[in-house]
Formats: sequence, C-alpha cells, structure tokens
Amino acid sequence: MSLVEVVLALVKILVIIGFCLNMSALTTWADRRQSAMLQHRVGPNRAVINLPSFVIQGALATPGLLLGAVAALGIGGAASPAAAMERMALGLQLTVFVVWFHLVVLSWRVHVKGPLNAFEAAIGSTLPRSYFFAGLFAHGAGIAVTSLLSQRLAAGLLPAASVYTGARVVGALLGALMAAIGIYAAMRIPKGTFGLRLAGTLHALADSVKMIFKEDFVPKNADKLLHSLAPMIAIFPALVVLAVVPFGSVLCFEDANKNGLFEFSDLAHVAPVMTRDAICAGHAVPLQIADLNVGILYLFAISSTGVIGAAIAGWSSDNKFSLLGGLRAASQMVSYEVAMGLSIMGLLVITSTLRLQPLVDWQNQNAWGVFVQPLGFLMFLAATAAETKRVPFDQPEGESEIVAGYFVEYSGFKWGMFMAGEYVEVITSSAILITLFFGGYSLPFLYADGVLVQIGDTVLFQYKMNHVAVTVLQSLTFFGKTILMAFFQVFFRWTLPRFRYDQLMKFGWTKLLPLAIANLVITGVGVVAIDQAGPGVQQGFALLGQLSQAVVALLLLAAPIALVWLLLRPVERTRFLHSTSTRFAAAAGGVKASPMQA
Amino acid sequence: MSTHAPESTKPWTKPRGTELTTKVIARPKRDFEVQAYLPAVAKGLAQTMSTFFRNTKEMVLGQKSDPVLEGFSDGVTTLQYPEEKRPYPERFRGLHRLTIRDDGSPRCVACLCCSTACPAQCIHIEAGEYDEESGRHGYERYPVRFVIDELRCIFCGFCVEACPCDAIRMDTGMHAVPYDSREQFIYERDLLMAMTGRDGSRKTANPRHEPGDPSHPGLDREHAH
Repeated sequence: MSLVEVVLALVKILVIIGFCLNMSALTTWADRRQSAMLQHRVGPNRAVINLPSFVIQGALATPGLLLGAVAALGIGGAASPAAAMERMALGLQLTVFVVWFHLVVLSWRVHVKGPLNAFEAAIGSTLPRSYFFAGLFAHGAGIAVTSLLSQRLAAGLLPAASVYTGARVVGALLGALMAAIGIYAAMRIPKGTFGLRLAGTLHALADSVKMIFKEDFVPKNADKLLHSLAPMIAIFPALVVLAVVPFGSVLCFEDANKNGLFEFSDLAHVAPVMTRDAICAGHAVPLQIADLNVGILYLFAISSTGVIGAAIAGWSSDNKFSLLGGLRAASQMVSYEVAMGLSIMGLLVITSTLRLQPLVDWQNQNAWGVFVQPLGFLMFLAATAAETKRVPFDQPEGESEIVAGYFVEYSGFKWGMFMAGEYVEVITSSAILITLFFGGYSLPFLYADGVLVQIGDTVLFQYKMNHVAVTVLQSLTFFGKTILMAFFQVFFRWTLPRFRYDQLMKFGWTKLLPLAIANLVITGVGVVAIDQAGPGVQQGFALLGQLSQAVVALLLLAAPIALVWLLLRPVERTRFLHSTSTRFAAAAGGVKASPMQA
Repeated sequence: MSTHAPESTKPWTKPRGTELTTKVIARPKRDFEVQAYLPAVAKGLAQTMSTFFRNTKEMVLGQKSDPVLEGFSDGVTTLQYPEEKRPYPERFRGLHRLTIRDDGSPRCVACLCCSTACPAQCIHIEAGEYDEESGRHGYERYPVRFVIDELRCIFCGFCVEACPCDAIRMDTGMHAVPYDSREQFIYERDLLMAMTGRDGSRKTANPRHEPGDPSHPGLDREHAH
C-alpha cells in the first residue's frame, strides 16, 4: 500500500464520518423536533446566525458569477461539431431550466412578500405554476429543435461553423443569465444584518453546542469508568460499520509516469472514459474504505457489538430502570441478530457474493434486490429497526414504562453521544438497506461508460459519459438514496406504536425466523430451478429485470415533475372573523408585524 | 299543575321499572388484513406522510394559514413569534403612557388621583409648581417625578379611570418586555411620555383648555368668576 493510497483511505474515512455525523445531527433534529409538523405545529427552528448582509450578498453573487463564467467558457469551446451540438443542446436545456426556475422563485417571493419594484410587480402578476408549465413546454420545444438541428448536421446540411457559433451564443447567454441572477439576488438583500436560518436546520447545530455545555451528571453509586465508557462503546460500532459499504464504483487513474507505482503525480490523470465492464488499466481506487471479501459478515460482526454499549450503560448507571432497559436491549438485539442474518441469505444465494461492490454491480446488471427478494427486504427492514432499537421495537427506551431505559442516568454530551449513536445507526442501516436492496450507488441503465437503455435486445437510448461524470453521479446517488431511506425510517417512528415486549419476542422467534428460513429454502429451490430451466426462462427473467429497471427509471423521471406540480398547487382557505382581535388583525393585514400590534 | 315533564322529551335517566336497552358493538374482527399488520402500516405511513409533506410545503412556501384569521383551516397554526404576532383586542390594556400637551409638557397635573386609586400602589408621583411667569402657576401643578413599577402593576386600569385630565392611558398596545433586572421595569416620567398610543400619537384626541385660550373658562385660584 503506497502513501497515496493511505492518504486516499484517510480522505474516504473523513468523507464517511463527516457524512454520518452531519446527517445524524440533521436526522435527530428532523425526527425528534419536526414531528411536531404532524400535529400542525412547527418544531423548534429558530436558531439563527446573524451575518452582515454583505456576506450573504457575496454568497449569492459569487456562485452566480462563477457558474456563469464556467457555463460561458465550457459550452463555448468544443472539439468537434458533434460535441458542439451536444453542448449547445445541454446549454439550451440549462438555460430554459434556469429561466423558469428563477421566474417561479421570484414570482413566489413577490406573492409572499410583495414586489420591490415595477419589474417584480410584472413578474409577480403571473402565477408561479404558469411559469413552470411554460418551462416544461419550452424544454420540449428545445429538445425538438436541437434534435432536428443535429439530424441536419449529421446529414451535412448544416455548416460546422454555425454550430460552433450557436454553442458560443448559448454559452454566453447562459453565463450572462446566471451572473445577472446572482447579482440581482444579491441586490435584493437589504442592508444591515441578515439572519441565516437554513430552513431551521441550524437548530441541530445549536442543540449539539448546548449539549456540550450542559452538566455531566454521574450517579453516586455508578461505576464511574463504565458509565463514561458506555456511550463511546455504543457510538463506535455505528460509525465503523460503513467501512465496507461502497459509496461509488471504482475511481480509475492512469499510470501516467509508466513505472507501475501509484504516486501523487498520477492523481492528476483520471481515466477519461471506462469500458462498460469497468475494468481499470491503471490504478483503481475503490470508493469504499475497506474492500473486504467477507463484507457482509463484517457488517453483522460489528453491528452486533452495539449491544455491549447499551448493556454496560444499563448496568453501570445503578438504576433499576436503566438495568431493565439494558437487559431488554441485550435480549432484543441478540434475538433479532439471528433473523437479520437469515433474512438476507436469499439475496446472497442469488447474487452468490459476500462483497458489497459485486452485489451492487449484480443489482445494476439485473434488478434491484427489493424486486428479487421483497419478503427478504421487509424482514430485513423489521430486523434492522429492532437492531437499532427504533420504533416499533424501542422497548429498551420505552418512555411509558422505564422512563428512558438504559440512558436514563445520562446527561449532557454523554446523552448526546447515545442520541448521535442512535441516529448514526439510522444512517448506516439506511446505507446498508439501499446497498442490499435498492441498488446502492447504481442508477438504472447507468453503466461505467454512460447511459444505455436496453429492453430485450433493442437499444432504446444510448449516451456516452466520461468516467468522472459517472463516478460523481454514482456517489451522489448513494448519498441521496441513503438520506431518502433515513427519512423513510423516520416516518416509521412517527407512525407506528410500540409493540409489547412479549409480542416483540414472539414476533422475532416465531414469525420472523421461520419466515426467513422458508424464504431461504424457496429462494434456493428457485435458483436451482432457473439454472436448470434453459435459456428461454433465463432470458424471460432478464427481460423482467430490465422492465423493473425501466419502471424505476420512469419513476425517477416522473418524481421531480410530480414534486414541482404538488409544490405549486394552489391553496384555498376560508376566513372566519369571529372575534374582535381577528377583525383587528384583518384590518391590520394579517398577523404580520405592524405598528397596530403589540 | 303537573310537575311531570312533557311526554315529548325523553328522560335522561332510566325510568323506574323499564327494561335496560343495550347496544351491542361488534368486536373488531381480527381478519387477515389486521393480523398481517403490513396494510395497516402502509395506511398509517400514507396518513403521516401526507400530513407532514402538506404542512411542510405550506410552511416553507409561505402558504401556511394565518393562525388568527384562518384558525379553523387545516394546517400549521404556529405563530413565528417575533415576525408574527397575535393582535390584542382593541381595548387591550397595555403598558402605560403619559400623554402630552401641544407644547410637549405633560398633561398630568399631579393630582395623585391615579396613585390613590391604584390597588397595587405601583405609582409614585412627586408634584412640583410651575414657574411664577407661567400661566399655569397657581392653577395646576406638574409631576417632577412620575414613576410606575410595571412589575407591581396589575393592569387593572383604575388609574386611567381615575385620571381627570386624560393624562395617563394604557393604549400603547404593548405588553411588558422581558428585561433582565428589576430596575429596568421601573418606568420614569420621560420614558412614559415617550411612548405612543396605537395610533402613533403621544397626544390624545380630547382637547385641553390652557389658560389664555379663548376656550378656557377663565377660572383659577385668584379669579373665581
């Protein structure tokens, strides 16, 4: 292992730990505080950093100017007419997107806060959703025009020089637009101080700062050493579990200095393109901290040590409630360990690997694990919730029975470590869930050499992409999917009531375990049967897999449109002016700050 | 005259000798849908998600219902306090203010009616005489100090009722601000005179007849008719 690889490993560790801790703080805030939204209340979101307005103005104007420069330079210069055509098409779509998006935002701000000048009044006279639908239409028109132009270019009817000019014009237009938007946004910020709230997420930061300064209480008869050690033992396995989870495919560097050694000078030479099977000729850097051949076994081995922290915390606190919580945690986690391991055996039989990277590749080539093993997914989801001691399996901290369970005697930052540990576990279990069942870092039809939409033997769409673009897209996919899955798990906590302890044990041993074994047996029989069945059946299953990928891809495309459509749906309300203060408020124009109010 | 209730109204207790009527409520069935647990989980998740996303969207996009004007509507009704405030009723008794005359001097004539009427004894007044040259000398006095302890005040409004000159009012529409020491709640004369009513004025609509004005009846200590 060369020095470069050590440095890269450290970078990967920093990325993963940073992601875990940041997301755990955010998830804690979202889960524990923002559940108030279900009771039609707003959770605490008032934490604010007051910045001088020029900082905000700079933060708004600089990206606009930088992106504008990048767009103007990047789209302008292209190597061949075909590449120029492609960049022009991309630039046109980006321009349309930037225009309609900012028109929607500005129109919405004008509707909420009122116009600042005649220009804004003109923008605000049209509803945001009209801009959105006009933008969708413009996207379609742009695609039609550019495909027509590229056909003419391919047929030799369009001179190459005009394509270059077109690309430059589109690049300059997009750049100017972005710069103008950045400057205008900066100009809208009034002088004075600006309260930075980041949609309330700063409250997570405020919470953790508060926890550091709170009193650290240790019970008189507690075991001082173990009491201090327990939170660390609890948080450690949650953090190291992600070491074997890949957050991207392989990053390939060329052997630029031709000596076969991986040196720092090689880092500047990322391979420009990859073949479809992603074989790296130079130095391959797998985007996972440790590529163990027993990956999944490592997962189970480490995550099962999480029980030690809870049990020690329960015992060392010298409190009956803590002890009960620790005992419950220990027995529950040991019980569900069995079902958890057995529930994914079916998937492992199908993919016949314990490494996580080939597992993801298999899902990318065939179908996501959730389509192959739906029952296995549900069982693994339940077992994971029990392993991380989360609702509906959170008897170890059942508030109504044993106050807070094993961490009832903890306060300040030690309590914060238990909390962070719980939510790091949510993040890591989400990462494992998506790696096993939702294709990990892969996107449907995205391969190492670009997009290839193929149903059966017919190729519907093909688009080559370079290596860096694919790798960045895959990493973003991994982190995005993990956040979505964590959010999904948060919803479980908001929805489900807690099981009784005997129900929990019965469910684990008499339902989950036999079901997992049955699932394994049926899967094994099925795998053998399909192997023996001959090429016709196998091709049928391959087609089914491609169809499942197509369904996911269509959902991925439809989701943003549905999201924007839902966001821009109008809201109608009725007003009942039923008291003097209501009439007073109506006369004053609502409950916004006004001199007529306190 | 009969004391029995008319026959049209049903008695709310069981009349003696009648049979008990019972309504049998069927036990919820433990059919497959309930026992399987998953359909119920899906239903619950759908309910939670729709509520959460609708409320989040309306709050983030500024479409949240006005907590006072649309209090009966669905959705988030939290007031984001310093930016949004629940308006007080028109006749809300807020912090006191001392009204002023056209020349900026206090309307108060230091008659001590308010401090006498005050059940909490939170008003302290030190009266002073106007200068000899002033037309008001010998006719009325003025408060050298006028102190209200806003922590002691019970906001009953008796001082306002007692005042013969419309000099003290509680129409500022403000509630006591949380200070960090008791001294800050002791409001002195100049602060009380600086506060405005809800209409933004430091005066009152009631006219004040100064000595020398044509509308002044001409009464003072020396010249009674």
